[in-house]
Amino acid sequence: MAVQPPDLATVRPGADPAADPLDAGPRPRGRTGRRARRRTGKGLWIPGTILGLIVLACFVWPLVYRDLPSPTAGSLLQANLPPFSPGHLLGTDPLGNDIVSRLLHGGRVSLEVGLTSNAIGLLLGGSLGMFAAFRGGWLETVTMRLLDMLIAFPSLVLVLVVSTYLTPSKLNVIWAISFFSIPTFARLARAATLRLREQVYVVAARLAGARDSAILLRHIAPNVLPQLLTYSLLWVAAAIAIEASLSFLGFGVPASEPSWGMMISRGQAYISSNPELVLIPSACLFLTIVCLNTLGDALRARTGAP
Amino acid sequence: MSDTLTRSPGRSDRPAVRPPRAAGLLNRSPAVRVAIKRVLQAVPVVWGATFITFCLMNLLPGNAAVALLGDDATPEQVAALSARLNLDEPFLVRYLQWLGNALTGDLGNSLQNNEPVTAILGRALPVSLELVVLAFALALLVAVPTAVVAAKRPGGFADRIGMQISMFGLSVPNFVFALVLVLVFAVGLRVLPAVGYVPIGQGLGPNLRAMILPATAIAFALFCEYTRVLRADIVDQMLREDYITTARAKGVGSWQVLVRHALRNSVFSLLTIVGLQFGALIGSTVIIEQMFGLPGMGQGLLQGINNRDIPVVQAYVVVMACFVVGANLVTDLLYAVLDPRIRHGRPAA
Amino acid sequence: MTTQIQPDAAARTGDPDAPLLTIENLEVTFRTRDAPVHAVRGVDLTVYAGQTLAVIGESGSGKTVTSRAVMGLLPRTASVRGSIRLGDRQMVGLGEKELRKCLGREVGMIFQDPARSLNPTMRIGSQLTEAIRVHLPLDRRQARERAVELLAMVRLPAPARRFHEYPHQLSGGMRQRVMIAIALACQPRLLIADEATTALDVTTQAQIMDLLLDLQQRFAMGLVLISHDMGLAASYADQVAVMYAGRVVERAPTREMIAHVRMPYTRALLDATPRLERPPHAPLPVISGRPPDLRALDPGCAFAPRCSRVRERCRQERPELAEHQPRHEWACFFPCADDTIPGEDER
Repeated sequence: MAVQPPDLATVRPGADPAADPLDAGPRPRGRTGRRARRRTGKGLWIPGTILGLIVLACFVWPLVYRDLPSPTAGSLLQANLPPFSPGHLLGTDPLGNDIVSRLLHGGRVSLEVGLTSNAIGLLLGGSLGMFAAFRGGWLETVTMRLLDMLIAFPSLVLVLVVSTYLTPSKLNVIWAISFFSIPTFARLARAATLRLREQVYVVAARLAGARDSAILLRHIAPNVLPQLLTYSLLWVAAAIAIEASLSFLGFGVPASEPSWGMMISRGQAYISSNPELVLIPSACLFLTIVCLNTLGDALRARTGAP
Repeated sequence: MSDTLTRSPGRSDRPAVRPPRAAGLLNRSPAVRVAIKRVLQAVPVVWGATFITFCLMNLLPGNAAVALLGDDATPEQVAALSARLNLDEPFLVRYLQWLGNALTGDLGNSLQNNEPVTAILGRALPVSLELVVLAFALALLVAVPTAVVAAKRPGGFADRIGMQISMFGLSVPNFVFALVLVLVFAVGLRVLPAVGYVPIGQGLGPNLRAMILPATAIAFALFCEYTRVLRADIVDQMLREDYITTARAKGVGSWQVLVRHALRNSVFSLLTIVGLQFGALIGSTVIIEQMFGLPGMGQGLLQGINNRDIPVVQAYVVVMACFVVGANLVTDLLYAVLDPRIRHGRPAA
Repeated sequence: MTTQIQPDAAARTGDPDAPLLTIENLEVTFRTRDAPVHAVRGVDLTVYAGQTLAVIGESGSGKTVTSRAVMGLLPRTASVRGSIRLGDRQMVGLGEKELRKCLGREVGMIFQDPARSLNPTMRIGSQLTEAIRVHLPLDRRQARERAVELLAMVRLPAPARRFHEYPHQLSGGMRQRVMIAIALACQPRLLIADEATTALDVTTQAQIMDLLLDLQQRFAMGLVLISHDMGLAASYADQVAVMYAGRVVERAPTREMIAHVRMPYTRALLDATPRLERPPHAPLPVISGRPPDLRALDPGCAFAPRCSRVRERCRQERPELAEHQPRHEWACFFPCADDTIPGEDER
């Protein structure tokens, strides 16, 4: 996969910079001084703003601006219009479809698939991992072994196989990608729960006779969730890339619903004559993923989540 | 330095604390113990991978024969194909039959042209392997020096440039990057072919010319990740580890401290990532092989899926899963061979 | 076996009475996220050849930072002012190349945790020959011979075999011996031991200290013991300097210091040392409170908030370090009198 699951080894600033920096020799932090703080701030609001604009454009603009041409019902009479043509801001593709409206529609597909598969992974995978780690014993071993096996599959291959056997639709693409997001989140949640399980307040709650469900809901989940949420930004980026790859290969959403991957795939044939057909959707894809990744990294650095 | 990583076993040095004596193979040396344990752990995972594949291919809703023949097939055609695919047998029986055959090296025949699947695999595997190995070599060759230079001055010019590039690189899906490469080198500069495969038998030069763009397309994302991981690990060591201070206090030059002390220890974490990805990479070749028209495993898998050629798809998926498991196994073993702490067993201090 | 390691250090210094290390008015400030941390605030120290100086203080007192400043091993966030002269070389502001020539050759250092201060993936031998070949023009074989000799010198059993082993195959005491061998590989004139025995158990501690003193005598080295352990200083050092909040607050020859403690902080440190003479199960006196926040110090004496003898003047005005008695300096307005001392003779 081009978009790797995020590396877990970036330097984090220490938890408490004020705590006696001279103890056992100076232990400086990854980055220093005011510059670091300013940069973390920038890392949050710049990609955040861009993402907000993308979401607004994809979901709100079509509602407000009713005259947007249909993404699929183009006329061949208007094929291959150059950018800045009247009525077609970025021109039209070889079938006469308006590129702007295809971009917006494609962005909606990408975001919907990314967010939904992420939500499924977060909910199902997260609770699975938390429950397995909390219960421990054979239940944990069996669950984790099964998930290991799922992870042993190259993700794209797995998604390909699943989505081929299900009929092509957005919902099935979502399920296919969730197949991969569930074990990822389950692993993460398990690791976090294992750390928490031995914390004094959890042990104390157990000794005080609290029910398992109460401990899970009240003590474990609120602490595991922020970590999973931070990670899910990075996962949404990965899911969007997987969706684009699927659509690029022709196994994604059906042809009636344009998506960025499909636009890139169709534009490939015209790469020497009209490279913008490839470059424009590529740029959108890239921008969305880079913002999600930057935001996820910045958030991770700020919260100190692993 | 040269003699430290490649030491042959059985010299006079022994672990400070010996493991308690017990009979059998498991007590040879820590490295052998680790190796045996890992191999034993890998077996059920491979088995599970085959089982999950089989489940996926057979338990998904709908009759496979109908899916193969299309909705307008006659009931006779469906029945004939079902018989040929053994679809009438219970699921477990079919799985055991397939497993038995697979263990004897028979993965079935293609539904398309009745060719043995092993023969198809034999043609496709070398192409994919060459692609992946080339991509790894390229990525590592560039990533290690980049990471060292970036880590020399964290926050400095080289570091910031390197980190920006790698953040961008990690955000470009590899088919997008491949298209940009094609646009620049094949369409724009016309120095390299956009598609096509030249077998290595027709000369290494032409072969590499055909492979270099797809390999670069895969290598770029790897390069970005390795650079980030390696740089973070080195920087972390330089800040935190006392042995780095010791080396500095000896009067060792700063580059030498980076390379001899920090990089050396970072190699172990890098190794883990490389190993974990080697298997996954076999999967990511699917899209690149398709784009550049390389007759590798990825292309074969896609053709199999398009033709609804169940035995072929099944075989490809199982082989890819085995690659992932195998790569993890080899990583673990290499770790045991290379890392002296595991090789000699940890002291019980 | 021909011995390459000769006690020639004394011959190298021209004037045996000239100080080996002179620190004058050293100030170290760390830039941090918020306020700068002024870790060392004007420290003067002098070490002579063959002399052992103990620098004593709690964590955060600036003793480690001082020693790292001598070695030029502070991180980039630190700014160093003042003067550190090693022999006749000024170490503050020395270029990286010049500094590197000094480290290991003129001054060696051993650290607190021998488990962490040796590279876990390198053989003992490689780490030792590295230290030798950085400075001395020896080939591989000669360096190896010297390394084995060094290992024998620090009384590591079976040195030729240990040469091929990895740090984790040695015990803690053995590792610290290896660290000493590395620090002494090029016979530096000054050795800084930063909490060198803290991570070891008591018997090993004594062995390592005896070895250090023995080697110091043999090579006529200056030795700086950085420690929080007053007992260690009392048993091994010639001169003791007590640091608090980045300043030296009391300094005297060891006997004088033990017999006539003046600074209430030193008194408290001494009382907090466990001793066999104490009645069993008696509570160990501890210094209440925490070391001060070095980002925002009050104008008065830094120890005032924790001092049992504090008066109003201590909070308004900071006492300077001054030689109130011959060879005994302290920085206190209301020093302890002799009669407040319970245990007279430490040795």
